[in-house]
Amino acid sequence: MTTRLQNPAPEHAAERQEQTLTYQPNVDICDRGEEVLFVADIPGARAAGIDVTFEDGVLSVHAAAPLRDLPGRPLRQEYGVGDYRRSFRLGDGFDAAKISADYRRGVITIHVPRLAAVLPRKVEVRSS
Amino acid sequence: MPTFRTGFALPLDELRDEIDRFWTTLTAAPPLHGWGAGRGAGLFPAVNMRETDDAVTVEAELPGLDTTDVEISVAGDELVLKGARPTAGAEPGNGRQKPVTWHRRERGSGSFERRLELPVAVDATQVGARLVDGVLTVRCPKAPQCQPHKVEVRTA
Repeated sequence: MTTRLQNPAPEHAAERQEQTLTYQPNVDICDRGEEVLFVADIPGARAAGIDVTFEDGVLSVHAAAPLRDLPGRPLRQEYGVGDYRRSFRLGDGFDAAKISADYRRGVITIHVPRLAAVLPRKVEVRSS
Repeated sequence: MPTFRTGFALPLDELRDEIDRFWTTLTAAPPLHGWGAGRGAGLFPAVNMRETDDAVTVEAELPGLDTTDVEISVAGDELVLKGARPTAGAEPGNGRQKPVTWHRRERGSGSFERRLELPVAVDATQVGARLVDGVLTVRCPKAPQCQPHKVEVRTA
């Protein structure tokens, strides 16, 4: 019993040192009909550390934001720095192959186009 | 014969106006500081501040803003951050007027101004700022009279 209690503690302490907190970014979701636009604030993330995946109808964003070490002693600490992660269930009807994303000024914009088959189609009415 | 009292419908009109206002706020972009009334509400941007012997460094997250969108001014021991963030979907180049449906609007927009009291007076002419990946870092070197001065002790 004593061994079980003593052993995990140093391991957990080490994990806490290596882990950084993960934050849920604020997102705007705009439906333009032919595509759905996801705009997320992920300040501090580097473009090379951003993963966007679409699997089983779920769009996921994970962005690694490296810790920023400001010199000196802290006077104010109003926010924390860490990675960003968020997922959205979109369902069917989207063209996974044509999903695109761009990152600029700490904001990622993901374009998720709908499949042409599900878009509304105007039917021409012929007169005989 | 009973008559309707004047202004009978007024409370209902007020209620309808209130619901209209509430609905408008639900469909509009939130303010930059969010809707919450909790701790930190009303403050944008949030800042981290650190102090070294010769400078005070202030960091703020301003995603979506360019250097031209932020105005930084320093006077004595006060740092002021001012600026504005446009509404998503209203960026230049998005000229189309096609109606869109918003499923979520969590990112704030609008103008902001935050005044920060620095622990010491700083040298306004030496203040430098950079904005990288939506993170603003302002380095404010302390005024010479506020920097630590080592006093040499002489022996008699």
